Amino acid sequence: MECAVPNCQQREPTVLGRKLKRLRPWVQTGFLAVWLAPLDRWLHGIPGCVFHCYSCPLSSFACPVGVAANYAALLPAAFEVPYLLIGVLLAVGALGGALVCGWACPFGFLQDLLGKIVPRKISLPGWLGYLRYVVLVGLVLLLPMVLGFKGIPFEKQVVSICRLCPAGALEAGLPYSIQSVLAGNGWMMSGFKTAILVSFLAAALVIYRPWCRIFCPLGGFLALGNRLSLFHLRFNPKECVECNLCRSRCPVGVKVDQAVNVSGCIRCLECTACGAIEPSIARPQKNTAP
Amino acid sequence: MSQRVPQPPVNPALRDLERHDFWPGFAATLAGVVLAFCGVQHWTGVDTVDGRAAAETQLIKAFSSGGLQYASELPPPAPPQLEDPAAQAEALDRWARQQASAAPPNWTVRVDTDAKTPCPT
Repeated sequence: MECAVPNCQQREPTVLGRKLKRLRPWVQTGFLAVWLAPLDRWLHGIPGCVFHCYSCPLSSFACPVGVAANYAALLPAAFEVPYLLIGVLLAVGALGGALVCGWACPFGFLQDLLGKIVPRKISLPGWLGYLRYVVLVGLVLLLPMVLGFKGIPFEKQVVSICRLCPAGALEAGLPYSIQSVLAGNGWMMSGFKTAILVSFLAAALVIYRPWCRIFCPLGGFLALGNRLSLFHLRFNPKECVECNLCRSRCPVGVKVDQAVNVSGCIRCLECTACGAIEPSIARPQKNTAP
Repeated sequence: MSQRVPQPPVNPALRDLERHDFWPGFAATLAGVVLAFCGVQHWTGVDTVDGRAAAETQLIKAFSSGGLQYASELPPPAPPQLEDPAAQAEALDRWARQQASAAPPNWTVRVDTDAKTPCPT
């Protein structure tokens, strides 16, 4: 289908769009220093707000997904409300929605880098994003709880999010396996988990952020905040020339021409290149007389 | 220039501006901050190995370091191994009596704050 606007193919990204595109990898790199700080697990009592395995030798904070699964498995033995976990995720989600996915998550950054190797990408149908909520409810909350009621502690559960997680395989399984090989004790990671890691790396080459878009339970939860978060994306009809640059730039396939603050958005802000989609912060409105 | 995705004609004048209200986001953020603050101060119903209530941060740290101990998983003490056969038999008999009369622990799960298992799963 041809665009109805004659000069739409010639329209260049805005200055803001270009600046944000250049800035994002540097911000992501800067956040690596936060998530990978060698603090010897000093802050492991606090859940982070990004997808990063707490068993990684350099992890600063606890993985919020692992913490949620552990709380669920603990339920039969002790009913504990994870105030800190809920509080951190609620505050981050309400402040920026999935902004941390696009700008701070180390696992997302890794997928961004892998995605640059092969420029052509396989597009995914939008409904696959709902699988993130299946993973969140099924694998992170229900399964550990059911197995916990059967008397199996989380660490002994053969099927769990931590045993299937590619971030765990990459950030913990791989370094410990390399360490084990160097010590002469052979490859430590199971064949199944190694296969998950290899499949994930291969998928990240040909699909943009496959984990984030299909499976990430944390991203799914934070993206729920996209619809009410203080930081959001606003549509400015005065700037829109129907060039469709916004939708064309979106790497995760959001139909930006229809709505932008949706759960599929990772807030990478690529769509701001068109000028009609503007980053904005909600402010209290003054009461004005009619 | 990136490849343009074709789109059906849109009418910008009819599209939702997607402007967010301040108060729902602010209320949710505030609730999150309050919950997180309460969580840092919160003492859980789970005890530590030395009998004190574990803080929520200690419980979370235990998840990532293999610090949860379940009473159902606690192995019984190993039987004594002595050189002298007579002393060994007596020690084994005493050990068996102790095992038979041992009361079950009055806790189901507790937190070992010193645990440092690098990868619990």
